[in-house]
Amino acid sequence: MQAQPKTERFTVPIGPQHPALKEPEHFLFTVEGEIVTQAAVRLGYAHRGIEKATEARNWVQNLYLLERICGICSHIHALAYCLGVEALADVEAPPRAQAIRTLVAELERIHSHLLWLGVAAHEAGFDTLFMYSWRDRETVMDVLEALSGNRVNYSANILGGVKCDIDEELADTIREGLDFLEKRTGHYLEVITSDAAFLQRTRGIGVMTELQAEVLGAVGPTGRASGIARDIRLEAPYAAYLDHPVKIVLDPRGDLEARFVVRIKELFESYRLIRQILDDLPPGELNVRMPRRIKEGETICRVEAPRGELFYFIKSNGSDTPERIKVRTPTICNMTSVVKLAVGHQLADVPMIVVGIDPCFSCNDRMVVIDPGREEKQHWTWEALRRYGIEYYRERNS
Amino acid sequence: MKSNAKAWQNVLSQVKTWARANSPWVLHFNSGSCNGCDIEILAALTPRYDLERFGIKLMGSPRHADVLICTGAVTRQARERLERIHGQIHEPKFVIAVGSCALSGGVFQNCYNVMGGVDKVIPVDAYVPGCPPRPEAIIDGVVKLLSSLTAPPPEHLPHKEDDMEQGNRDS
Amino acid sequence: MDTNTALQTARLLVDEWAAAFETPAPNRLDVYLTRAADLIPAVAGLRVKRLGYLAAITGLDPGAEESNLEVLYHFCAGEAVITLRLRVPKEGGALPTLSEIIPSAEPFERELSEMLGVAVTDLPSRGHLYLPDDWPENVYPLRKDFDQQALPKQN
Repeated sequence: MQAQPKTERFTVPIGPQHPALKEPEHFLFTVEGEIVTQAAVRLGYAHRGIEKATEARNWVQNLYLLERICGICSHIHALAYCLGVEALADVEAPPRAQAIRTLVAELERIHSHLLWLGVAAHEAGFDTLFMYSWRDRETVMDVLEALSGNRVNYSANILGGVKCDIDEELADTIREGLDFLEKRTGHYLEVITSDAAFLQRTRGIGVMTELQAEVLGAVGPTGRASGIARDIRLEAPYAAYLDHPVKIVLDPRGDLEARFVVRIKELFESYRLIRQILDDLPPGELNVRMPRRIKEGETICRVEAPRGELFYFIKSNGSDTPERIKVRTPTICNMTSVVKLAVGHQLADVPMIVVGIDPCFSCNDRMVVIDPGREEKQHWTWEALRRYGIEYYRERNS
Repeated sequence: MKSNAKAWQNVLSQVKTWARANSPWVLHFNSGSCNGCDIEILAALTPRYDLERFGIKLMGSPRHADVLICTGAVTRQARERLERIHGQIHEPKFVIAVGSCALSGGVFQNCYNVMGGVDKVIPVDAYVPGCPPRPEAIIDGVVKLLSSLTAPPPEHLPHKEDDMEQGNRDS
Repeated sequence: MDTNTALQTARLLVDEWAAAFETPAPNRLDVYLTRAADLIPAVAGLRVKRLGYLAAITGLDPGAEESNLEVLYHFCAGEAVITLRLRVPKEGGALPTLSEIIPSAEPFERELSEMLGVAVTDLPSRGHLYLPDDWPENVYPLRKDFDQQALPKQN
């Protein structure tokens, strides 16, 4: 990597191949010396035309399609879809099913946050933390597999309820797993709030004030780390969150450290919720019959995915195939904040700022940033940018 | 003299094949997947599965890779990138398609922006089915491919290394 | 603010521009606007009182034989969802961008534009958001008359 002369202005297109982020996306940053002056993003690499595809599949087939919008948050997509279609059909899934749905949603949040912790640590050059968090995450994967038969794409939801049950033995396995994870999470919280090298890359970096977060439309943990008290589980409760309310996790500081702290504290909240649900699992049926044709109408279903608010608009024309399904994923809301935030920051901080929103690009595809009117472009891979950030801070410390 | 040289060529071939089989440098490319397969590939590197003990290293650049692991149904946007990256990898190169989408398009078959599988765009040497395949299945696929490299080539096919060595000796 | 209060307040704030109201669900208010020029004032009406945030924009094609599309702007306040609905002609119709009042509207409007062919005036960014660069002009995937077979083959 050549060093850049201080006065030269160049654009840095990043992507689309990122061994670390494992998602093809394309950013374009305009840099003057070290400072980002413009940022843009372009999606498209994972755009599969899913919304259109739902119009050619029946309600049951669409469940399997929508589950696969995102491998990390597959369950929450299926849950939003099922709740929406059930609302249209005037069908209520039985209480045991709603409880199990909620429990799996929290397990998914745990796996997603631990996955993110590892990826974010990797971005900062802390591969030990990456390895440990992903090793610990295997505990959740084991539980999900024991419950559903698959580690990823658990497919617990069906229209009308769930297809897997939790017996006492599995409940005990889950509790043991949570006990282990709780200890480990305590350790992670300590590391990220006290390790000097880590704090150098997170404390006071990428600050987004509450006002900025509000204006830019930040959702989920990213918004909560700037003090935006918005969590769909709390403000529009669904499934079993009515019986088991969430305690919202907020942080007023709005920097990268806050984004780490919020997600880790949310893990504790998820452990608590799961234990509570297990202790209070309603008896009864796992599902009810759903009609093949769904009554005409429109419904809106909002749920809290690990990354923030997931919004589904579902329209039925009375047939066995939907008229229209609109999926608005959380990352697209948070993407605007990254693009604005990056400006004024050092290029070396960009990887952490991007990963700080926990971007799920397959949820809303890729963003490519194209800077109009630049002639001299340097093409960097994400790996190169990541290393640039790590080296930059290593040099500063030596 | 000639028979010694030929014997040495064979040994070299075998060493090269073994080295390639035992220390392949792998490049991962996501052609538009949901990330389910990608996170299981990454999980294969983490302590529980530890792909590195087979000598497999994940590289960041096509120029250093021997094996391309590809996920996703290949979107129209990713297609060109995939072809370019495949082109940048030096021969001999191998391609492993991981997951239902990479095999055939999976649930996204017939979607307007989807090519429908990696072999619609580049030749594939190994297919690992699953949605997603678990890390053990992915490792199994990689190891099967590597083992097939150490097996002696069929008699009637020319051996690439022999041609190269021949060329070097003659010049 | 509880759901009912939010919905009632919203009604008052946009009343001047609303042709009709509907309540398809206890937590939802649909507001039917008739002119593109009323969109910004109605949105500003909500924003001035900080009622709700723009959660999503949905575009609908009622059918290939219909000459209008319908665009839905969803504002959420707690459990309440207030949807501003506007018809816009398929041919020559245009809507003003909300991105000056609501920056997060930009990616929503870009998607609306490329998927359904709704022209959104003064959008800060040009170019596709999701569709590939080589996508044919004037072909909108979410329209009901979209013909997948007619797409140029990629070979």
